[in-house]
Amino acid sequence: MTIDKIRPGGVIDPYLPVRARISRIIEENPRIRTLVLEPLEELPAANGARSTAGRSSAYQPGQFVMVSVPHCGEAPISLASSPHEPELRLSVLKVGLLTEALHRLPVGAEVGLRGPYGRPFPLADLHGRRLLFIAGGIGLAPLRSVLESCLAEPEKFGPLTLLYGSRTPADLAFGEDLARWQQSGRVDCRLTVDQGAPGWTGAVGLVTELLAELEPAPEQTSVLICGPPPMIRAVCRQTAATGIAPEQIITTLERQMKCGLGLCRHCHLDHHLVCVDGPVYTLAQLQQLEIMELG
Amino acid sequence: MSDQYLLSRDHLAPLLRRLAKEYRLVAPVRNDHGDTMFQEIANPVATVPDLESQPQNSLKDFLFPQQEHLYDYRLDDAGGYHFQPPATTTPPTLFFGVRPCDLNAVLYLDVVFLPGRRELSYRRRRENSLLIGLNCNQPFADCFCAAVNAGPFLEEGSDLQLTDLGRDFLVEVGRAGGAEIIRRWPHFFRSAPAEERNRRFQLYLEARGGFSRQVHADQAIKRLAADTLPSGVWEELATRCQDCNGCAYLCPTCTCFTIVDQPQDQHHGRRLRLWDACTATGFTAMAGGHNPVQPGKDKLRQRFRHKLELDVKKHGRPSCMGCGRCVGACFGGADILHFINLAGR
Ligand SMILES: Cc1cc2nc3c(=O)[nH]c(=O)nc-3n(C[C@H](O)[C@H](O)[C@H](O)COP(=O)(O)OP(=O)(O)OC[C@H]3O[C@@H](n4cnc5c(N)ncnc54)[C@H](O)[C@@H]3O)c2cc1C
Ligand code: SF4
Ligand code: SF4
Repeated sequence: MTIDKIRPGGVIDPYLPVRARISRIIEENPRIRTLVLEPLEELPAANGARSTAGRSSAYQPGQFVMVSVPHCGEAPISLASSPHEPELRLSVLKVGLLTEALHRLPVGAEVGLRGPYGRPFPLADLHGRRLLFIAGGIGLAPLRSVLESCLAEPEKFGPLTLLYGSRTPADLAFGEDLARWQQSGRVDCRLTVDQGAPGWTGAVGLVTELLAELEPAPEQTSVLICGPPPMIRAVCRQTAATGIAPEQIITTLERQMKCGLGLCRHCHLDHHLVCVDGPVYTLAQLQQLEIMELG
Repeated sequence: MSDQYLLSRDHLAPLLRRLAKEYRLVAPVRNDHGDTMFQEIANPVATVPDLESQPQNSLKDFLFPQQEHLYDYRLDDAGGYHFQPPATTTPPTLFFGVRPCDLNAVLYLDVVFLPGRRELSYRRRRENSLLIGLNCNQPFADCFCAAVNAGPFLEEGSDLQLTDLGRDFLVEVGRAGGAEIIRRWPHFFRSAPAEERNRRFQLYLEARGGFSRQVHADQAIKRLAADTLPSGVWEELATRCQDCNGCAYLCPTCTCFTIVDQPQDQHHGRRLRLWDACTATGFTAMAGGHNPVQPGKDKLRQRFRHKLELDVKKHGRPSCMGCGRCVGACFGGADILHFINLAGR
């Protein structure tokens, strides 16, 4: 399931990016933007089948790509689109050199992509279950991919609930998506902000407070979490306390990564390398590891 | 290793001259500063290998170099972003005089880089290399290969394996490339009589007794696996480490790396892969000040766990080969021997 670029002569070169053009930009908030990308090269999948990322099931929700930005090197970014969507999407929070450069690129500019990498969310295991998505800030990016997949195949999944936290109302990202999901009537979207502002009529407080108001049916619910480490810690604890089995609490981790191939070792975690053994883990798996998110 | 021959000491130089016509020859050479380094010998008539000293560098420098030029990139005026691998040639290379620790280190690099077709450049270089090993009759001062089963004699993995018998070298044929050398240049070799083969064993026993250090690697390995290290080991090492990363760069089996872009002008640049070190501050740091490794406490933990615990679990043997390079290089007292001693406290 890789889309490595193949050099002349049939040699797979795992580090060689393919070109992709920015076809649309959504400014989600002052620090997060979504890039809609159009791959410019046909990508031969490792199994020999011809496919183009974004127009095929060449990737799965929870996987990421290494994104090249001119003069800035590469960074791991989750695929925020679902394989059911016609386009490839990345949502990016501005935190440093490369991500700031991504925020300066105009429509029509190109980036490089390689991947997809990592173990995806175990979607097949979630069939028939009630899904509770809990995200903070940019953490909605990988969960968006799962949500869109669920919406594309509604018969396969139970009711969908999303708890989404932002710092302030102005930080609320993914507004287009949230509105669409809410209007569809298929996702129960509940938003909260850490600090309110004039005009904000929604909830104020941490996502954990929203969570406390819900009474998820522990036998039938699976939880998917992505956000900053303190949020992961608090939400894992709280959902486990409601009686949901640790195998049904699933999160995805961030680490420094340079290769995505299980070689550079920046993402070491006990005997794991998060780029190949993760980034998606169940709480049951994480409890076997010595890990800052639970520390 | 089955077939065994004798190579007269006097024939070594002529043999190397022959081989240097077919291969790029790399061997330990003492330079003008008195340092012995593995380096290319362009003229084997003028330069003789130094087989008396331990080279400061290892074959890692050649097979997985400190700086790898991955691509040139170019930006065109229409916003296009193009990557081009640099033109490369990989001359067939013969590494001569490789000590068992360093040879075992190459076998470890094979395990890291060859499976799954993940690495083009390592594979290319490795498939174009021959290894002629040299057993150690007398370990060097910091050596402890016997404690990690990586020497002082090599049982398998080289193409040809030499043991210094005095007037002759005993030559054992290992992998196919070695048999090819014997087949192509038979007049350098004569078959080894039984008593010379027995001398190899004698020398091996003497070499095993020749280590100046008692190193209880087994105990450290056991305590790591059982999570029963004495308390305070990691904290002590973290305070001693001075952040130079010298251990990782000198180590023949350290393979952590980073990938960076080096802009050349507004429209051009190079993508490089560079050695990195898990001991480096910032190796795991992320945005928002999150760092899964607490530098003040766990800075060296991954290094020693990787070598003596994780690789034992994954590959069935530690990935420290006992070459002692980090011992000689570490001025803070945070090298692997120091760890092994602390672990045994
Ligand atoms: C699997 C995965 C998926 C991800 N998905 C997304 C996503 O969808 N969207 C998104 O926005 N982000 C995502 N990230 C995070 C993203 O990869 C990082 O934010 C990005 O790499 C930062 O790169 P940068 O060049 O902008 O920042 P950098 O310039 O690298 O710096 C970012 C911050 O990291 C710290 N830092 C980095 N390197 C060092 C160092 N050597 N020493 C000290 N401190 C250092 C600093 O605190 C710095 O402020 C993902 C990460 C992973 C692992
Ligand atoms: S560590 Fe062992 S194999 Fe390596 S140089 Fe020393 S004695 Fe020889
Ligand atoms: S850890 Fe030290 S002794 Fe062991 S192989 Fe590396 S440099 Fe040699």
